[in-house]
This record gives sequence, structure tokens and C-alpha cells, in this order.
Amino acid sequence: MSELLQKHRNELGLLFAICIVAAITATFSSAYHSPDGIKRTSQMILRESAMVGIFALGAAIVIIAGGIDLSSGSLIAFSGTLFFSFIIMFVPDDMATRWSSDPEKHFPDTENIAAYVTMLALACTLGIALLVGSFHTWLITVLKLPPFVATLASLVGLRSLARLMIQDINETQYGLRQSTITIGDETLTSIARDNWWVPCLIWIVLCIAMWVLLSRTTIGRHIYAMGGNEEASRLSGIRTVRLKWLAYCISSVTAALSGVLFACYIGTVNPASDGMGYELNAIAAAVVGGCSLTGGVGTVAGVILGTVFLRLVIDSVAKLFKSQPDMFEGSVVGILVILAVALNEIRGEGGWKKRFFPGALGLLNVGILTVLAGVLAAVTSTEGKMRNGLVVGVTVLVLLSTKAVMELRSELNKAEE
Amino acid sequence: MSATSIIAIQNVSKRFPGVVALKDVSFDVRDGELHSICGENGAGKSTLMKILSGVTTDYEGEILLKGSPVKFRGTREAENAGISIIHQELNLVEQLSASANIFLGREKKTRFGLLDDRAMDAAAEELLTELECHVSPRALAGSLRVGDQQLVEIAKALSLDAEIVIMDEPTSALTESEVERLYRVIDRLRQRGVTILYISHKMDEVFRLSDRITVFRDGALVKTVEREKTNRTEITHLMVGREIESVDFGKPRESGDVVLEVEDLSLPWPGHARAWRLKDVSFKLRRGEVLGIAGLMGAGRTELLECLFGASSVRPSGRIVLNGKQVNFRHPAEAKRAGIGLVTEDRKRLGMFAQMTVGENITMCTLSETLSVGLISPSRESKMAGDMVDQLSIKTAGTSSRITSLSGGNQQKCIIGRWLLTKPEVLLLDDPTRGVDVGAKAELYLLMDKLCRDGIAIILTSSELPELLTVCDRILVLSEGHLTGEFSREEATEQKIMEAATLVET
Repeated sequence: MSELLQKHRNELGLLFAICIVAAITATFSSAYHSPDGIKRTSQMILRESAMVGIFALGAAIVIIAGGIDLSSGSLIAFSGTLFFSFIIMFVPDDMATRWSSDPEKHFPDTENIAAYVTMLALACTLGIALLVGSFHTWLITVLKLPPFVATLASLVGLRSLARLMIQDINETQYGLRQSTITIGDETLTSIARDNWWVPCLIWIVLCIAMWVLLSRTTIGRHIYAMGGNEEASRLSGIRTVRLKWLAYCISSVTAALSGVLFACYIGTVNPASDGMGYELNAIAAAVVGGCSLTGGVGTVAGVILGTVFLRLVIDSVAKLFKSQPDMFEGSVVGILVILAVALNEIRGEGGWKKRFFPGALGLLNVGILTVLAGVLAAVTSTEGKMRNGLVVGVTVLVLLSTKAVMELRSELNKAEE
Repeated sequence: MSATSIIAIQNVSKRFPGVVALKDVSFDVRDGELHSICGENGAGKSTLMKILSGVTTDYEGEILLKGSPVKFRGTREAENAGISIIHQELNLVEQLSASANIFLGREKKTRFGLLDDRAMDAAAEELLTELECHVSPRALAGSLRVGDQQLVEIAKALSLDAEIVIMDEPTSALTESEVERLYRVIDRLRQRGVTILYISHKMDEVFRLSDRITVFRDGALVKTVEREKTNRTEITHLMVGREIESVDFGKPRESGDVVLEVEDLSLPWPGHARAWRLKDVSFKLRRGEVLGIAGLMGAGRTELLECLFGASSVRPSGRIVLNGKQVNFRHPAEAKRAGIGLVTEDRKRLGMFAQMTVGENITMCTLSETLSVGLISPSRESKMAGDMVDQLSIKTAGTSSRITSLSGGNQQKCIIGRWLLTKPEVLLLDDPTRGVDVGAKAELYLLMDKLCRDGIAIILTSSELPELLTVCDRILVLSEGHLTGEFSREEATEQKIMEAATLVET
């Protein structure tokens, strides 16, 4: 029993944290104070978790395999654009509409799309995502680019490519150089909106598949081995290039799947802003869920809980401080990632007894944390911003200074001995 | 010789997970003496030196330097206190020049705060000339021969005005003339009044150089003696304790038919002055024999095994014939399928999966045999691992323990077990007893003997000649990539092997 607790300490800790945050929010936020409100809020959190969770699984498998995939945010924009582009290319023209400059040409009919068109567009989009994953693997294993560089290039490159392409596609199909595509089909747009369970179902299926892959197959074991010690696994006769290909392709395909879902949810693709910064949310979910960026460590359960925890905290902060969730997202993700990784580090080496504020760098950071806490308190307050910021800042300053002074004293005592 | 002690080591212990590397060690080093520290690999010599030089900061016990207690928190502090270490694996930044390495971290600057390369080069040149090292101070450290690299390290110690210099097996990779030069450098250091701690297990050097000798065994200090009052036999005896010869293999092995044949194997070395890591190596390996490969560091031992295993980064030329069929492995996976196993040299870096369990490490190569309906069967897997743990008598709390909780010898057995499960015909063991304690070494020797009797052919490399002489039926000697000697068990002696290993073909 205790061994089991020890082994799943990370997952249990996250579960506990989720319960605490949910309880606090439920107590103080009116969104949870009616049965209908609870239903709506939990549906929303689940849907958002699913949309991020799908490609967080992909980000996690790459991290476990010892790499990193930074491209998912742009790939979401790219694949959303592709998906809608394929649809408007595949659907028949609407005879009732006319192209202004050429009355013989018609606009594509996107109001009632046949199922086969959707499926074909989806298959093409996911197929291209496979190519993106294969391209990453080639860059990394043959050209020997560091994964960070290879996928960073895609991060900036794919979005720009999508923006260039969408204009040309619009021009051929609608005769207009515009940078968005909107689809009016109700079946598509209901996915993720009214039919909130669709992304959730996809997420659950993927989670189960990923769990089986990682913990019950040879491939999964070899991925952990490669992430932990790539050279040793090569010398154990493991084909590391194939494993990397699999990991990067899973990452690309899950990101593309999310991209399709996001496109359906919004109903319009705009590659300039879709999925902006999402790659870090996925990596954060994996890291908060216990994946180690050095590779070889992480569980599917951890990643799921990490995803839910991040979405829940973002939502709770927004509810408690009555603000837009997307504004808080970055701060919340940043703080939680630092906390999660720092907690792991602290557990690993020396524990809480180590010095947190040594020397000049330590003192400087007492100041930095003070200012940070004060500013965060001020921007999250609805009234009395100045006062709240000052109170929190001074409190943090007093606490951290006390800690720093105590550390210095015990250091001096040790030196005297 | 003055009798004042410059370093006093008092009750120092160091524990690693699963191993005690140093047990309650106390002794003095006198001012100006050359004090040799002897012991087998894994005896604790290097651990102690790492503590003295500030590399290892976490230990029990106390160290007095000139009478006052010190506790270094890093190499910089040790250097400032006058202690420099010349590591066995040299610590140079290969991409920087010799002079930049000598002044690394203490660079000379011009009036404007910019690097003063001219002054540094001049000072480096002076130091290197004094050490009979005739290389340009502007040459990149990585392009120098090992012996010259070592002198660059010594020059660095001199530039720091080190009072105490620790040399960790300094001759292990040197040619004979370089060794002689090193002896002269040591004499010069001693004239300056530098105290030297000299780590070695080579009796020649120890008796030629030392004032006093301290012997370590299994992490404990056995004895400190004056050189005049002892002899080689006593020191060797103290070092080994449990003699290597005590391994009893019973009746001699009989080798069978040829299983592996290598003809004119050459491995190019692009961009290197030597051009070839291996050149025209040919030999045969028979079933049931242990073939030893001897050679100094950089002679090409590991590279040879990597070629046979399809693991070299550049493709070798020549013919490798396994069981009568010519093979040309492009990936270790192909070699594995053909019946070759490789237990790598550096267990931590190239062999072990540190975050995994004992069982997972053992079954890594043969997981596919545990599949039922495409999924790993945990019960079959744990049986597979458990059987191997029993067969090799690996000391572990269970197959689900972390492999890092095991001692070095048992970790090594896990990796050998991993390969035994693949039922290899040829097992390549690259320095398998490195970092393994003496008792476990004997067990590994007996294991190799048993495997040979079961019909497996073994190629063994080792940095310790006595080990090769104990275990092998035949010994090949490599020097700078060339095969320079082959000896049967009867004709092989340390002397002959060393001569062949230092032979440089032109």
C-alpha cells in the first residue's frame, strides 16, 4: 500500500490539489451555487481540458521520449486552416451564388456539408500532420538538429505558411484575398459547442490508447528507455529513429486533431491568432503532470491530471477575480510550472533545508518576488488596487526577508562550528 | 624530509546509494613528500582524491590543511588553498587553446579589461617549456596528444602555485618516453617543494617515486608504510587481499569451432591526424573461449567491439564473418538478432537505464518474448527477470527495486543478464569489471567461465592486465589501432603485453 502511494505520489498530489482548488472556488464563486451553474461550469472545464488535453498527450510522449515539440500551437492554426480549406475545395459550388467579377463562377456551399467531405478533409489534414511529424524526425535524426531548434522553426514557420496559403485559397475559391475562412455548417460547429462531449470522448479514447501504448507495449517501454538514456537504448538494439518518428508523429497528429476541433468550435479559422502560445500550455500540462524534461519519466494519468488542474486553476482565478480567463492564462501557467518543477527539484535534492536566498542573487530575488507578488495582487484586485498591492508586497517582503536572515544565521552558525 | 603534516585526513567516510566508497579513513600527508596511494579500481582512491580536491563536497569526517580544518565547497576553493588535481580523465576544454586552458577562470586582462592573449600565451609557453612540453600554447587542447594534455594540466597547477598536486593514475595513457618525461617533471615539482599525492596501482612507478605508500582496499585504508621498509610483494598482497589467482576455474576449458572471423577490419577516423581508429585488424574467435583485448587508452579496444556490434558511427571496412556468413551490421538491432551481445564499457552512460527497475533493465532486449495479444504480460516479464536474478545470484530486494539501489557489481550482472536472455553466441564485454568491487569481480570471472563452458564465445577488454591474464585463453594487443601482438594464455605475461601495447607502428 505505502509502496503504491509512493509510486503514484505525484498523481495523488495533483488529485488532492484539484479537489482543494475546486472546493475553494465552489465556496466563493456564484457560478457553482446552482445545479445548473455547476453543470455548465464542469462541462466547460471538461471541454477545455479535452481540447488542450488531446495535444498535451502528444507533447508528453515527445517529452518522455527525451525530446520537445514546440510546434503544436502553430500546427493547430495550420491544421485548422487546412481543414477548412480542404472543405471549401471539396464541397460543390452553390449555384445560387455568383462571383462578382465573373458571374459564371460560384462560391463553395458550406451550409450543408456532406459527411464524406468532412471525413476526407479530416483525413487529408491528419495526413499532412503525419508529414510534419516525419519532417521533424528527419531534421532531428538525420540533420541532427536539436529538437528545440527543429520544432521552433516549425513554430514560427507553419503559422506564417498558413497565413500565406489561406489568402491564395480564398482567392481561388471566393475571388477575395482575405485571411480567414468561416464555415456555416451546423453539424460541424455544434461539435465542441453544444455537443461538448465530442472532444471529451476523443480525449478519453486517446488517453486509453496512449496508456496502453506507454505502459503495456514494447514500443512504450522502449520510448521510456530512449528518453532516459538514448545511447544505452541504441546499444541495446532499440531502433531509436523509428521511436522518435512515432513520438513526433503522435505529437503532430494530436495537435492537428485539436486544431480541427478548435476550428469547428470557433467556426472561423484565422491563422494569425489561432492556437497562439498553446504549445506552452501543453508542455506545462505535461510538466505539471510529472513528466521530466530530461526524458524517460511521466505517466498518462499524470498528464491528464496536470491538464485538468491547469484548466481548473485558470478558470477558478477568472471566476474568483471576475476577469477574462485568457488574460490570466499566462501568469497562472507560468507560476504553476515553476512551482511544480521546483517542488520536484526540492524533493530530489536536499529538501527544504537548502538555502533559497544565498548571496546577492538571493537578496535580489527577495526583492523580485516582493514586487511580483505586489503587482499580481494589484492587478487581480477589483478595487483598492494600490492598497492591496502594497499590503501583499510588504507581507511577502517581511516573510522572505525573515527566511533569508534565518538562513544567513544558520549558515554563520555552521561556519563557527 | 620534514615530518610536519600538510594534510591530515581524519575519519573520512563517503557513502553512495548501495555502496560505501570510503570507510572511516585517517592518515597524514607530510610536507614535501611524494605519497603514493595504491589500490585496485574501486578501492576508494579516486573518491578520496575527489574529496581532497573539492569535487565531492558531501562526506563525513574532517580534513586538516596545515593544522586547520577545511571543507571545500568546490574545486575553486581547493585550488585557492593550494591543492590541484590532475584527473585520470583529463579536464580540459578541448575547443580552447592550451594557454586558454591553463588560465581558465583566471584570465590575464589588459588595461581595458579585455583578454590579454599575448601575455597568457607567453606565460603558458614558459610553463610548458619548463615541463619539456614542446607544443604551441595556441594549439587547441583537443588536438594535443594525451601526454601533452596532461602536461597542460600540470602547467595549470603550476600557474596556480599549487603546494599540493594530486595525480590520479597519470601514466595510464602515456607512452614510455612520455612516462620518463613525467618522472622528470615530478622531480622538478619536488625540488620546488610541492607535495605530491600519487595514485597508481603500478608497482614500478610507486617504488621508483614514493617516500611513503598508503594502500586502500574496498574503501578502507589498509596500511601506510615507508617505501624503504616494504617491498612489492607486500604492497601487492595488501592491495589485492583476496588474490585474483584464488579464482578457481576447475579444469581448463576446451574451445570449439570458429564462430567469428575478422579480416582486415579498418575503421576510418575522419578529421584526425591518425586517420584510422583501427587498421587492418584480423583475428578468429572460437566457441567456448575468452579472447582478451589489451591496449592503452585510445588504442581502439572499444571501437573494435563497436564495429563487431554494428554500433560504430562510421562504417568499418573489411570482412566480419559470423558462423560462416559474412555480416555487415548497420544497427545494433541487426547484431542482436544475429546473436551478438555487447555489455558496454561505461555502465552508467551507455548501459543502464537509471530511472528504471532491476526487472525492466534485465528484460529490455527481450520484451517481445513476453507479449500476449501484443501487450506485455507483467507476470511473464517478472518471471523472466526473476529467473535471471536467481541464475546470476544478483543481490537485490526484488525485480521492482530501482537499479540504482544496487552495487556496481550487481548492476553489471543485470546488464549481462539482459544480454544472456537474448541467447547470444558471441558476447562482447567491454571492461565489465570497472567500478566493481573485488569480490564481485571474482564472481564475474566465474560467470564468464561458466558461459564459455556453455558454448558462448566471449571477447573481453580490460584496463587491468592481471584480469586478462586470469580469465582469457588468448590475448590480442592493440596499439594505436594496430594489432601488435597475440599471446596464448601460456606465453602471455604483463611485460610482453605492455611491450606490444606501447609499440607504435609508423
